[in-house]
Amino acid sequence: MARAQTPPPAAGVSPAPGATTSPLSKACQTGTDATANESPLPNVAAALAQRKNLRILAFGAAPGRVSARRGGYTALIEAMLSHALEGIGVVMVNRGVSGELAANAAIRMKNEVALEEPDLVLWQVGTNDALAFVPVDEFVATVKDQIGWLKSHKVDVVLVGLQFATQMVREPHYIDIRESLRRLAAQENVIVVRFFEAMQIINNASASVTGPASDEIEHNEAGYNCLAQYVARAITLGVFAKNMPRQPAPQPQPQPQK
Amino acid sequence: MTRQPNAVDFWRGFALITIFIDHIPGLFYAHYTLINFSISDAADLFVFLAGWSLRLMAEGGGRQMPTRDVVLRVLARALELYAAQVMITMLAIAMLALTSIKLDNPLLLEWNNAAAVFNDPVPTHIGLATLTHQLGYFDILPLYVVLMLMASVFVLIERVAPNWLLPASITLYLCALAFRLTLPTWPEEGTWFFNPLAWQILLVLGFVLAKDTGIGAWVRRHIVTLRIVALPIVILGFLIVRFDWWPDPTKVPNPKLFFIADKTYETPMRLIQFLAMVTVFSLAFRYIRWFGELAYVRRVVTPLIGTLAMLGRNSLYVFCVGSLLSLTGQVVRFTYRGSVGSDTVVVILGISIMVFTAWLAESRQRARPASPATSARRS
Repeated sequence: MARAQTPPPAAGVSPAPGATTSPLSKACQTGTDATANESPLPNVAAALAQRKNLRILAFGAAPGRVSARRGGYTALIEAMLSHALEGIGVVMVNRGVSGELAANAAIRMKNEVALEEPDLVLWQVGTNDALAFVPVDEFVATVKDQIGWLKSHKVDVVLVGLQFATQMVREPHYIDIRESLRRLAAQENVIVVRFFEAMQIINNASASVTGPASDEIEHNEAGYNCLAQYVARAITLGVFAKNMPRQPAPQPQPQPQK
Repeated sequence: MTRQPNAVDFWRGFALITIFIDHIPGLFYAHYTLINFSISDAADLFVFLAGWSLRLMAEGGGRQMPTRDVVLRVLARALELYAAQVMITMLAIAMLALTSIKLDNPLLLEWNNAAAVFNDPVPTHIGLATLTHQLGYFDILPLYVVLMLMASVFVLIERVAPNWLLPASITLYLCALAFRLTLPTWPEEGTWFFNPLAWQILLVLGFVLAKDTGIGAWVRRHIVTLRIVALPIVILGFLIVRFDWWPDPTKVPNPKLFFIADKTYETPMRLIQFLAMVTVFSLAFRYIRWFGELAYVRRVVTPLIGTLAMLGRNSLYVFCVGSLLSLTGQVVRFTYRGSVGSDTVVVILGISIMVFTAWLAESRQRARPASPATSARRS
């Protein structure tokens, strides 16, 4: 597929100082390089140039997910983007249904795109399909069709990959779905925030310092905090992609099973 | 004494089994349920039949129950449904927690919208109690609770000004679509998967169409013509679903909800297809029963009718158990990697347990002497 042309950064829109280079907290920096391939977001850039606002439709397993610190991860993304994209109004619309397979989400997403008219869809996809053992081919076909549909309707998409759990590191179907999503994103030239890989790196790093995480919930909580930062970073990079140097992504080392 | 199999109980039993299967994502047999051949699905049927049953309760057996009694009974039913929702939700949370511990996998705590319960229990428990936080696939009963609360008003309107009920319901439905009125979720930001302000139209339609006078009578008088009109709609719905002929929702005029197929808002495309399907299949139960009397198939079809009707007669118990069985099915699929073999075991065992639940619920009744109110009570 031909690579989409990146329009110039939106006129009058600029990243806040330091916003695209280092918006990550210290705890999340370890996993940065496994998070996203830097693909442009031409429709978002165009929308920012024309309207000075950004509408994001959040779909998938955990868009409205709350945390003990409140707000949820999409609220964090909204706040981070508002900070990073100076002068831009960011609106996040949550329409996720927990447990929904990609095929069902895809049908609903088309309606929501028509109703909400977003510039960008943030789609956390794959976890439910992997856990439900949806065949990889079926999953790939669904996500590919949906990306095509979104592109044809001038809506950018940022995929958020599978959730992390140490128990799933060697699960063959989980690996297949993860890898197929990564390949598909590269093939379709869309951003994928590789949540699993990033959390795996963070998990390994923290385990080497403090031992295995004893509190999985707290760990997961921190993971979603990092996820919000990765997504915000990926979007700002997508908007201003031309100027950003790209580093090779390190491969996460498999962590020994408990 | 339990009532004899009838069309309402039969189709409700059918809907219960369908919902059980549909609520296990990825299940092999979920490719063969109603939703794969029709724009509407078993949830529409379930709510429509709730409205129909409401009429039977209020006016069944040729006697009209006093308005006060009907309203109180509907409110009591709402309370019963609420209690059931709270109970199955807590059991589902416990099941997820237990499975997560046993399989040593924290991902299971994130399933079906349960993450907030464990991550942020203080507000989420308020949300669970107020029905503003619903687990995935445990979102039909909250709809049903609100519909029963609304039904108390519908009954009052119907008794005071019967001709105003359907127009009032349609007005509310159209407003919900035009202005996208719905109920919010909390503490997670979002909206109810089943919007009661839109879905009430199905309950009211079931309620008014079950009546022997008014629009219900008109429909019965013209049922042959209506079937001729409805058949192409059902066929078209089938073709849309099978060949992906859905209209592009971005291309339809505003207000878009009037022209797209959306489950949350029970949009007209879905509603019309559902009514057409009910019209076409309104004779089906009679034919199935007639077919069941043939010598060759009697041994199979008659018990099948009786079983589905028994499920339908005990719909709340069966629905609650079915919801928990669907969750169990998800866990089993996850544990055994979702093969056709494990799916077959899940479906057979699941339906067997649902049937046993209904049988158990009726065993109490069988032990009791018959009461005149028995047949009208379970709606």
